[in-house]
Amino acid sequence: MRLLAIDTALAACAAAVCDTNGGIIASESELMARGHAEALMPMIARVMAKSGISFDQLDRIAVTVGPGSFTGLRVGVSAARGIALAARKPAVGVTTMTALAAPFLAEDDTMPVLVAIDARNDQGYMQAFSTGGHVLLPAQLGPLRTVAMLKLGPMRVIGSAAKRVAELLPADQVVASFDRPAPDIAWVAQIGSAGSADNPPKPLYIGTPSAKPPPASQLLRR
Amino acid sequence: MVVLGIETTCDETAAALVERHADGTGAILSNIVLSQIEEHAPFGGVVPEIAARAHVEALDQLIERALYDAAIPLEEIDAVAAAAGPGLIGGVIVGLTTAKAIALVLNKPLIAVNHLEAHALTARLTGVAPFPYCLFLASGGHTQIVAVLGVGNYVRLGTTLDDAIGEAFDKTAKMLGLPYPGGPQVEIQAEHGNSLRFKLPRPLARRDSADFSLSGLKTAVRLEAERIAPLSPQDVADLCASFQHAICDIVMDRLTMGLAYFLTHYGKPTALVAAGGVAANQSVRRALNIIALEAGAKLVVPPPHLCTDNGAMIAWAGAERLALGLIDDLGASPLARWPLDTVKHTPQPRSEPPR
Repeated sequence: MRLLAIDTALAACAAAVCDTNGGIIASESELMARGHAEALMPMIARVMAKSGISFDQLDRIAVTVGPGSFTGLRVGVSAARGIALAARKPAVGVTTMTALAAPFLAEDDTMPVLVAIDARNDQGYMQAFSTGGHVLLPAQLGPLRTVAMLKLGPMRVIGSAAKRVAELLPADQVVASFDRPAPDIAWVAQIGSAGSADNPPKPLYIGTPSAKPPPASQLLRR
Repeated sequence: MVVLGIETTCDETAAALVERHADGTGAILSNIVLSQIEEHAPFGGVVPEIAARAHVEALDQLIERALYDAAIPLEEIDAVAAAAGPGLIGGVIVGLTTAKAIALVLNKPLIAVNHLEAHALTARLTGVAPFPYCLFLASGGHTQIVAVLGVGNYVRLGTTLDDAIGEAFDKTAKMLGLPYPGGPQVEIQAEHGNSLRFKLPRPLARRDSADFSLSGLKTAVRLEAERIAPLSPQDVADLCASFQHAICDIVMDRLTMGLAYFLTHYGKPTALVAAGGVAANQSVRRALNIIALEAGAKLVVPPPHLCTDNGAMIAWAGAERLALGLIDDLGASPLARWPLDTVKHTPQPRSEPPR
C-alpha cells in the first residue's frame, strides 16, 4: 500500500511517501516549534515530487491526530482531509501515542511502554501500553507527577516528557527513557496502513474547551 | 473562470463556487454557509476554541456540498481561494490549509484572500460598482470606513479604536439578558422602546477623523441599566432604542467625516457600499441612506446573506485577484491581524529558485 504520511502534531513538521512493502520512498522532517502552517504544504509538494508518485497513485493519506499542539493538529488534519477530498483517497488518523510507542513495541513487546508528551505547566499527555501493545492506561492529560502514583511495573518511558517522568518514578519502575520530540514518520505511515479507513481523521484534543457560560444578567426584574 | 471560495475566519464555515465572466460581471453558482450560532449561544459570544474545532470537522463536507450544488467537479475549477485573515487564527488555519491542499493536488492557483477585501469587493459581484467607492464595513469583528480605489488598492479612512459596532450590539444584548446573537434582538426590542429616554454619549462626535469608539457608549448603557435596575421589559426596550439611536448618530457623524475626506483626496465616490451584519439593521440602513443622499452617492447594500460572512465573497475576491494575476504560493501565512491597506496589489515577481 502506498501512503502519504503527515505529522505536524508535536515538535516536528514531517511528510513522507511510503510503500508498506518497500519502506520510505521520499521523506522530509524538520524540527520546529511554530511555522507548521507555512512549512507543511511546500514540504508535501517537494516530497511528492521527489517520490515520483502522483496523488492519483496513493492508496491513503495518514496523519497524526494528536494529542499535541492544537494548532499543529489543525494544520495536519486539514491538510490530510483537503488532500483526501481533492485526490478522492481515504485519509486516516494515527494517534501520536501509538506512533511514538510502536517502534519500541515492535522491537520488544514483552516490556510495557509509557508515552509521556510534555503539555507545559508540569502537565503531560500520557498513555501506557502493556505487553502485546494492549492499552494499559488510556490517553489522558494530567500533572506529570500523577504517574508516580501508578504502579504499572517496570517499563520504558518515551516522549518529550520522558526524562522528567522517569525522574518522578521509582528507579525500579524505569527500564529506560527515550526523549522523542516527535514520532518517526515511517511509523505514522505503517500504522496508517493498518485498520479501517472509514472515518475521516479528527483532532484528538483530550479535554473540552475551557470556556464557561456567563452568569445570567443580574439587572433584570425577576 | 470558476473559483472555489472558503471562509473560516469566525463562526461560519462556508464554501462557494463563483464564476467571473470576461466582462467583469459575476455569478454565484453555489453558496453554502454552516453557522455555529447554536454552539456559541450558551456563551453569549464566539468562543475561539469551539469555533476552530467545528471548522475542522465540517469544512471538507461543506466544500463537497458546494460542488454538488453547482454541479461542477472539483477538477474543473480554475482556482481555489481562502480567507487567510484577519480573524480567529484557529479557523483561518483550517480554511487556508484546506485550500492549499486542494491547490496542490489539482495543480490550481491558490489565492490567499484578505477577509476585509472580500467584503469590500462584494458589491461588484452583486451589481455594477465602478471604482472608486466608499465602503462602510460593520460587523461583530470589524468597523471600518475604506476608500476602495481598485482591486487590492484600499485606503482605510477610519476604524474602531476599541469595540466593533456589532460587538457593542452583542455586549449590550448580553448585559440586558437578551439571547445571542444580540444584534437582531436589540433591534426587535428597540422597535417599541423610547429612543430619547436615556441620554447616551456619541463618542468622538465631530472629531476630525473617521474613527469610531464604542466602549464608552457600552459603559454608559451599563451605568444607566444599573442605576434603574431591576429592569422591566419596557426599561430594556427603552435602553435598546436609546442605544440604537446613539449608534445611528455615531455612524452618520463618522461617515460624514469619512466621505468628506474621500471627496478631498479621491474625488466623488461612485457609491457608498455597506457590508457586514450591522448593515442588516433597518435603523442603521436609514442612517446610511441619509448620509449617501447628502453626499450625492448611491447607497449599495448587498443582500443580507452576502453582507454577513460567506464563501461567495471569498471566491469573488479570489476571482478578481486572479484576473489580475495576483496569486499566492503554498507557503502563504494565516494571519490573525491583516490591515486592509497592506494587501498587495501588483503581481509579485517570482522568487528566485533556491540554489
